[in-house]
Amino acid sequence: MITAPQVLPPRTSPQPSETWARRRWAPQKLLTSASKHAVLLIFTVVFGFPLLWMVLSSLKSNPQALQSPVVWWPHPFLWDNYPNVINAVPFYRFVLNTLLYAAITIVGVCLSSSLVAYGFARLRWRGRDALFFVMLCTLLVPFFATLLPLFILYRKFHMVGWYLPLEIPTFFGSSVFSTFLLRQFFMTIPEALSDAARVDGANEFYIYSRIILPLAKPAMATVVLFQFIYCWNDYIGPLIFINNENWYPLSIGLSFVLGTYSTNWPWVMAAAAAATAPIVILFFFTQRTFMGGISIQGTGTKG
Amino acid sequence: MSSALTSSATAVPQMALKAARSAQRRQIRTGLLFVSPWVLGFLAFFLYPFFATLYYSFTDYSGLGAAHLIGFANYWALFHDSLFRTSLFNTFYYTAVELPLSTIVALGLALLLNMKIKGMAFYRTIFYIPSIVPIVASCMVFVWIFNPTNGVMNSLLSNLHVPGPDWFFSVSWSKPSFILLGLWGLGQPMVIYLAALQGVPKDMYEVASLEGAGPWHRLRHVTLPMISPIILFNVVLQLVVCVSYFTQAQVIESQDVGGPGTSTWFYVQYLYTQAFQFLKFGYSSAMGFFLFVITAIITTVLLKSSSRWVYYAGDDR
Repeated sequence: MITAPQVLPPRTSPQPSETWARRRWAPQKLLTSASKHAVLLIFTVVFGFPLLWMVLSSLKSNPQALQSPVVWWPHPFLWDNYPNVINAVPFYRFVLNTLLYAAITIVGVCLSSSLVAYGFARLRWRGRDALFFVMLCTLLVPFFATLLPLFILYRKFHMVGWYLPLEIPTFFGSSVFSTFLLRQFFMTIPEALSDAARVDGANEFYIYSRIILPLAKPAMATVVLFQFIYCWNDYIGPLIFINNENWYPLSIGLSFVLGTYSTNWPWVMAAAAAATAPIVILFFFTQRTFMGGISIQGTGTKG
Repeated sequence: MSSALTSSATAVPQMALKAARSAQRRQIRTGLLFVSPWVLGFLAFFLYPFFATLYYSFTDYSGLGAAHLIGFANYWALFHDSLFRTSLFNTFYYTAVELPLSTIVALGLALLLNMKIKGMAFYRTIFYIPSIVPIVASCMVFVWIFNPTNGVMNSLLSNLHVPGPDWFFSVSWSKPSFILLGLWGLGQPMVIYLAALQGVPKDMYEVASLEGAGPWHRLRHVTLPMISPIILFNVVLQLVVCVSYFTQAQVIESQDVGGPGTSTWFYVQYLYTQAFQFLKFGYSSAMGFFLFVITAIITTVLLKSSSRWVYYAGDDR
């Protein structure tokens, strides 16, 4: 299945056999290239079909969706499913709650993770690497192993029912992923920039806020993007802490659409598509930021 | 005079030492100041609840009022609780299948994408997008596609004269259905592997080819060793995700569109139910701590074994 790119054996000088070799290799290259595309296209169908089917189903009438044998193409396109399902539930309310949740945690993550990342990446002090190691280790502990005492604590402070239990920790570097990503980025900035500023008498906070942060805009954009998507998707957090219907985020609202309208699949698919579209559109506009951010995760993680 | 000389001679390094020490202290202070948000957060939102979980696991506690110490009673009860064993088994099943399978598929796709091929960006985008689809939305889509009577999957299978199973509604097929749902969203590790593959120096392949290594040998002896640290990193992170499997199962079961009986009753769901439905915080704290212990053991085994299969470039370990 896996065919590595063909590497021709190097030749010292062009010989008659060279042209012969080229003639022999050309069709074979075409064949391997075609087989590569064939395999990739199979996977394209596997990965793309569920989303395509979601959109197609969302445009059918309910009898059409349930028809057997399957109707592949909706006729006519029933765009009304979208406004209908969106008006059947407080959809915009859910979206607004989610956006508010995302906005506040984005502020928290940007402030705290960049500060902490600066301390781990741009300063040299004893104990730094040990603390950084401890931070990475917290990633290896399941969320539910520490959840219950926090829940009890938040209830004592009357914060259950609000988004505060999900927002406050982000101001205290709870997003290890963001801190890690920013640290990796900060380390690529030449040390000479900081040294020059230090010679001029700048203190570390000045260097952090006036030199490093402006240079780190692309990495910060990645952090904002990932935090937004995290909040848009987050189901567990709100499930545990939010108990008032008016404050439900989109994720929980959607799950009720699934339960309530599970006999009306076009509506369910329309709701799913409406919740997915913003993320996919956002992805297409920020693809570079996205892929760069994930790649950083995979670098410098030795040891 | 000579004594003055010697004293000043010893005083200079002492002063230098003092200056160096105070500089070092200043450095530590500045460093700690910058990481202090995380240190505070670590103490309050990690270390405290971690030890509190351990403490509550030895108590009978409803979440309100006082917690009564009852020794190991919760742990004894766990081992006699058949639902606990079922949920532990289900989570183990999911992890044991999903973790290796998703690693192999993600790595395989990354290898495919790493070939010099036209349209790579298109394929990469298509493979990646499912991983950013909101989890609840992906549950909705899969429940519909795998619907036993009206779903497109069984309709396709019946065209091939294969009787389709009841998928999410079947006791024997519900777990594989969740695994398929998980595999669909493996874009994240795939992109990480792809980045790692692109970081393997080209000349290593050239040398390997010169020495007569075919595609399989190049994969086995160049590619895999070079990216093995990234594989370890990913597997360890995905392990925590797998043992904490919750959202998809909770969405589908709480909305009554799948997961019959206890066939997909996962560990964390049971923990969640014990705490927030039955208010047995002591009992579910014991489950929480037990989950941590299991995860820690598996992670340690993985990291210890890594010295055998992980290759660190420029390192003699």
